[in-house]
Amino acid sequence: MNEGASGYMIEAHGLVKRYGKFTAVDHLDLQVNKGEIYGLLGPNGAGKTTTIKVLCGLLKLSGGEAYVNGKPIPDRRIAAQIGYMPQETALYLGLTVHQNMAFFGEIFGLTKREIGERERDLLEFINLSGWRDEMVGNLSGGMKHRVSLACALIHMPPLLLLDEPTVGVDPELRVSFWDYFNDIKSQGRTIVITTHYMDEAGHCDRIGFMHNGLLIAEGEPGELLVMTGTDNLEDAFMSFSASDRKGAEQ
Amino acid sequence: MRRARFFTVTKRVFKDLKNDKRSLALIVIAPIFVMFVFGLAFSGEVKNVKVVVVNQDQGAAVAGGGTMSLSEKIISNLDAEVLKLEYADDRDAALAQVENGDAYAAIIFPSDFTSSALAVIDDRSSGSSTDIELLLDKSNINVANAITKAVNDALLATIDQAGMQTPVKVETEAVFGQNAKFMDFFVPGIMAFAVYMITTLLTLVTFVGERTSGTLQRMLATTLNERDIVMGYAAAFSIIGIGQAILLLLVGILVFDITVVGNVLLAFLVIALLAIVSQALGILLSSTARREAQAIQVLPFVVLPAFLLAGIFWPIEAIPTWLRPLSYLVPPTYAVDASRAVMLKGYGIGKIWIDIVALLAMAAVFLTLAVWSLRTRKD
Repeated sequence: MNEGASGYMIEAHGLVKRYGKFTAVDHLDLQVNKGEIYGLLGPNGAGKTTTIKVLCGLLKLSGGEAYVNGKPIPDRRIAAQIGYMPQETALYLGLTVHQNMAFFGEIFGLTKREIGERERDLLEFINLSGWRDEMVGNLSGGMKHRVSLACALIHMPPLLLLDEPTVGVDPELRVSFWDYFNDIKSQGRTIVITTHYMDEAGHCDRIGFMHNGLLIAEGEPGELLVMTGTDNLEDAFMSFSASDRKGAEQ
Repeated sequence: MRRARFFTVTKRVFKDLKNDKRSLALIVIAPIFVMFVFGLAFSGEVKNVKVVVVNQDQGAAVAGGGTMSLSEKIISNLDAEVLKLEYADDRDAALAQVENGDAYAAIIFPSDFTSSALAVIDDRSSGSSTDIELLLDKSNINVANAITKAVNDALLATIDQAGMQTPVKVETEAVFGQNAKFMDFFVPGIMAFAVYMITTLLTLVTFVGERTSGTLQRMLATTLNERDIVMGYAAAFSIIGIGQAILLLLVGILVFDITVVGNVLLAFLVIALLAIVSQALGILLSSTARREAQAIQVLPFVVLPAFLLAGIFWPIEAIPTWLRPLSYLVPPTYAVDASRAVMLKGYGIGKIWIDIVALLAMAAVFLTLAVWSLRTRKD
């Protein structure tokens, strides 16, 4: 196939993921450019998380094919190029912030010095410099979220797959999260983010609307508003999902 | 590269334990606690059993004047550690005490005991004999057996002292375990049991945590694969298992004065293998639980069979024949057998290789299943 020639960070053709009879992701075609923030939007159960997990290699494909940075997945070697932030906190609460970050750094073969340097930068980045030796279990929910992001960034991956990173995050912190994401983007890295908060999706370069495992629309936020003649993404989504239902009935 | 990767997981398990005082206490204190509780309470030896003696024996005159009483000699030969003797005047009073549960047994010597016995010795062809009557509460088998044994031993010792000849005698010589106490037998067993129970429990709970918190998914999204994670855990818990074995052995030697005749390093190897089997079992079982509370529900099925069937407290030969095949399905059975053979009999690897092969086979099966249980999550 056209491996890597396309220059896409993520390229998926006819991606299918079934759990038994249930089809969570249904023939998804997806192209994510290098250096963009791509938002996967949709209600709970739309197939966003499943898509992310398939791209991480956490789930097997039931059909179709997908490439990450030109390499077909699943392939364990690609993992080093991906920073995955799961929906759950997914940190060791009994370890300190430093021990958590060091663990995920060591997995990728980073040296003590590399970990030390990156940790300093990342802690500054997420405003937790004074919390290096605190038990993660003692941190507030928002702080844990930021540490979780830092753990996904420790090995400097060119691609970040963030699953609902802003769920349960207060509005103020959500704003600073988007500042982080824009910073990461400005370093030339790619971010795929899932969310069901339509209002914050406007920060993305491009958006894909997911509904019942299908990608029902895709484009820049402004484009989608123009296409549907709406003034917010929520209404735009409703408009697309309504026409999708109509299409399915015919 | 691979070695370094799984070692990262091993290191993390240790850091986690270092910060987690409760689990650390479980690892260090629980086995010692188990050893003390069982070692002190369940010594396997019956002691201080109340027995009522009714001695109506009149004795018999012997050549050279005076009387002799065989019954008194027998009574003085009764093991004073096992039996706590009290005396009653007649059979009815003694029987009443046994019936009331005040005493476990009544030993009754008839009035013509000595004279009848001597008559039998003088004239073997007479065909008559005399009896010691033992009224026994047999509802507690262990106690009943201990009393019967004490009476028989005293009788044999008396016959021996009196210089009387018995047609047949049994000569006993210890091939192994001369002066062996119950604790010598018990420590290798409790070592295996404690390591098995604590390792399984700890991996089970830790791994349910890894699954529910999402850290397992996060690890699997890195360059680590399922095998690295299982191997990382296996390395950590085999080291912890050896640590526990050393600790228990030290307590056994220092507090309970146990004798170890074999190579303890070989016993540690066996315990390490058992720890690997146990942690793989813990990971496997964790796939059946969605929450830590659910993990606790499977514990009785892990602990009880091992407790009862592995030959820790009583030999496998004491288990009904039809149940014995199950003994060979619980991992500690092999570790108990091997470490006991090494520590008590001084056996080398050449004689316990079957146990080691069995443990290796179980390790291979359970490790494979543990890796498989992590992989099937992807479907």
